[in-house]
Amino acid sequence: MPEIFIDNKRYEYEKPGKVLQFMLDNGLDLPFFCYHPSLSIPANCRQCMVKAGMPVFDREKGTFETDENGDRVIRFFPKLMTACSLDLADGIVVHTHHTDDLVKQAQADNLEFILINHPLDCPICDQAGECPLQILTYKYGPEGSRFEHKKVHKPKAIQLGPRVILDAERCINCTRCVRFTDEISKSYQLSIISRGDKNYPMTANDQEFDDPYSLNTVDICPVGALTSADFRFRARVWEMNQTPSIDMSNGKGCSTWLWTRDNMVLRVTPRFNEEVNDHWMPDAGRLAYRKFNENRISRPHMRPDETEQVRTSWNNARLTLLEELEKVSPADILVIGSPHASVEDNYALRTCFSRLGVSKFLFVPHIESGSGDGFLITDDQAPNANGVRSLGFEETEGKALAKLIETKKPRLIAILDDDLIGRTDLTREHFSEAWTVVWGTNHNDTTQAADLVIPVTTAAEHAASYVNVDGRIQRTVPAKETMYTNRRLNLEMSMGRLDHYGTKFDNWVTDANRVDCIPAWEFLIRLEDDGAASGWESSRQIMEEIAKAFPAYREVSYDRMDEENGIQLKLEQDSEVKTA
Amino acid sequence: MSNNWKSYKPLLIPAIPDLHEISVYEKNNGYQALKKILKDRKTWSPANVVNEVKTANIRGRGGAGFNAGLKWSFMPEPDGEPRYLACNGDESEPGTFKDRKIFEFNPHQFIEGAIIAAYAMHVEVIYVYIRGEYRPFVQKLQKAIDQAYDKGYLGKKILGSDFSVEMHTHMGAGAYICGEESSLMESLEGKRGYPRVKPPFPAQRGLWGRPTTINNIETLANVPLVMNHGSDWYLEIGPSTHPGPVLYGISGHVNRPGVYEYPAGMNIMTLINEVAGGVRGGKKLKALIPGGSSTPPLRADMLEGVTMDADSLREAGSMMGTAGMVVLDEDTDIVELVWRISHFYDHESCGQCTPCREGTGWLEKTLRKMKDGNGEMRDLDLLLAICYRMEGRTICALADAAAWPVRYSIDRFRDEFEKKCKKTVYAVA
Repeated sequence: MPEIFIDNKRYEYEKPGKVLQFMLDNGLDLPFFCYHPSLSIPANCRQCMVKAGMPVFDREKGTFETDENGDRVIRFFPKLMTACSLDLADGIVVHTHHTDDLVKQAQADNLEFILINHPLDCPICDQAGECPLQILTYKYGPEGSRFEHKKVHKPKAIQLGPRVILDAERCINCTRCVRFTDEISKSYQLSIISRGDKNYPMTANDQEFDDPYSLNTVDICPVGALTSADFRFRARVWEMNQTPSIDMSNGKGCSTWLWTRDNMVLRVTPRFNEEVNDHWMPDAGRLAYRKFNENRISRPHMRPDETEQVRTSWNNARLTLLEELEKVSPADILVIGSPHASVEDNYALRTCFSRLGVSKFLFVPHIESGSGDGFLITDDQAPNANGVRSLGFEETEGKALAKLIETKKPRLIAILDDDLIGRTDLTREHFSEAWTVVWGTNHNDTTQAADLVIPVTTAAEHAASYVNVDGRIQRTVPAKETMYTNRRLNLEMSMGRLDHYGTKFDNWVTDANRVDCIPAWEFLIRLEDDGAASGWESSRQIMEEIAKAFPAYREVSYDRMDEENGIQLKLEQDSEVKTA
Repeated sequence: MSNNWKSYKPLLIPAIPDLHEISVYEKNNGYQALKKILKDRKTWSPANVVNEVKTANIRGRGGAGFNAGLKWSFMPEPDGEPRYLACNGDESEPGTFKDRKIFEFNPHQFIEGAIIAAYAMHVEVIYVYIRGEYRPFVQKLQKAIDQAYDKGYLGKKILGSDFSVEMHTHMGAGAYICGEESSLMESLEGKRGYPRVKPPFPAQRGLWGRPTTINNIETLANVPLVMNHGSDWYLEIGPSTHPGPVLYGISGHVNRPGVYEYPAGMNIMTLINEVAGGVRGGKKLKALIPGGSSTPPLRADMLEGVTMDADSLREAGSMMGTAGMVVLDEDTDIVELVWRISHFYDHESCGQCTPCREGTGWLEKTLRKMKDGNGEMRDLDLLLAICYRMEGRTICALADAAAWPVRYSIDRFRDEFEKKCKKTVYAVA
């Protein structure tokens, strides 16, 4: 197998590639700014300089030339090479800052150059704390600067587009953002303008940077030059907890990080997942975090008569629903599952109402034809259409559902978290002759029309699985507390710096932001006569049951989903929603 | 060779009226080399043309001085897909103004040379990249190209053979960096003029990812001479290590600045004193920049016996560059001059690589401070440190070009720099 020597240590490589990526794969450190594994390699930051050389091959003998000690004679390249663009070659010898003083010096020199025109406004910069320039300067940078002149001034706080703001002075011209729009989102909206130390990325005259993936440039920006208009000045990164999750805003289910503080989700960033979204995610999914914080239903709501909804206790809500269920025969109950709710919740709904004798379960996929782009935005607006379908829910359309209610006149309608009035052909009138119960996360037209509203947790508050348009099942992890969960007791919740080290004066939890809600399945098991027929204590157990009951879910478990970043299900061909 | 320079008859820009008209050029042995090649394709197979040019050792006139025929031989075997020849007429280095004379007075010789080069490398499309400021010369060249098309020297099936070639002109938008071969290609492709990382070299992956060769205008204008008279004849002109006629662009403090054509290897003092009429106002010579602003300046006392060819200049401590000689008299303020050169590179750095983007600006600011009389002794060390940190650490050679004049000027005129600096270090009494 071909070999490479890095800092006098031998490594073997299989596939051709570049030295920098090889070093990163092997956990070796080397500073860099412009390189990104998913983008082209411009080698323009000049930070990943290494000394490299090839062994001298003696063609006549057919062996490598050796010196008197029997070591290979190495012919070094006359100049330092950038590791990011240096090809792996059999026998290549690389010296990094660990073994070569010139390389160490070159890396410090380069950082000194980068910093001479950098404003060094870290205390007010959003990137501080997660800034490669800051980190690498501490690690590899010079002691101080010898630059005694006025720095170059460039435009600041320019609204490049609706979601991205540019501070040109902080820009180090790595061109990652430009390459992203050229190579990944293909909107070609950004370009470097001007020349020399005056250049910075910009859109064409009078053009907006309204790329649906524009916020990815904020993630890959190695400094605080591009910041999110939404997240700007909202929080310090070291005060937030970072929890792995998935995107709920469309059918692709991009892997994400939820960033929380004070039990509020403050931003969503993509999490690397080779199988789904690589390093990227659409802007819409990032801005969907508001749903986790705002307009939440807290405590059950019910409508005693034809008046306004009022808040009620959980016990009252449960008893009221049981009473109403007793009044009707199973044939008069219409149960509608939700592509917006998890596999577990839909399964619990189905199990619970099956016991009552209901045999027909419907759901309405949330498709907006033409909104997909074939990349990470799908026509499907819901994260779990395939999941609901695979559990045996019958697919229907808004119009057909309206007609069904008009003709069959069910006496009780149960709807799992889905704004059917808001997004389909249903109107309030369809609920007028039936008693309606809705499990909902946020107030919307449907919950307002209901007779009983059960507040349920969002993807940011519960552990649950979702099956994306390609049939891949992935799960969420609770990121924020509800009234009934506790970060310290629930070991699954991520612990941030303040959880570990904060005192009670650090104000990292305020009760105001805890929503009085529970997962839908937790309410559904309370409806059982004996209280614990299903015996579920966690969504993990529900998934174990599903895995036994449904062939498509065989071998699915939370542990495996965590380890493999989601599992590809073998769903029947005809039940798959095609990506746009 | 330099003794008989007085009897030398110009070959690149001969004194023939209206030579830019194709009829005049044809009367003066024009397009004969092309006809000769196309008439006898057996003797003059593309490989043989490359060999002939390689033997003639035409050293690239764009600054690097690389053997043009050798460069041509790097082109891979044709595979039926497009290949390109890009002619570099972007000359924007301060002190260089020679290619414009070819566009102005003898464009057909360049066109003929380019066609022969295209033939030798199986190229069917030639791009001529000309700096945007040369609008009148572009018009002249375009007229000449149109004439060549009319006469059948360009276009489909040239002179009845199966060899076809198209020639397009492309104007730059005023960027010095686009004279660097890889950013020239980026610019031709319609992109921002950022130099490319090498390898891959242009002959492997050039314009639109296809094999491409980039030659200077003057280099290509030499090709018909070699093909007409043979490489042996060509090697006789000037030193054999750097043969051929050279357009010396002499500017600065001389009585008769201008472009003069003489053999390579001319004695520098002869060029200054006899060709260019001596230093203006009878003053003493202080320094010479031999080949455009990026070449290290030479002190007057370093010029003894130095001739204008790559080897002699390297020995003297500089480079041939583009042979754009800038003559500086005794009144020249070297600090001001070096600042002006740095100012140019600061303005022209494309900003792609960190050391060049930031280093050129730092040099400029420090030199400005120094020329304004606010310099300090430690700034000299700082300037040298910046130069060392810029050299050899970037994608293209602009950082080197910006660093050399500063480094060598401080090296060679340190007393003048020190005079401009405040004495911040005092001897302990």
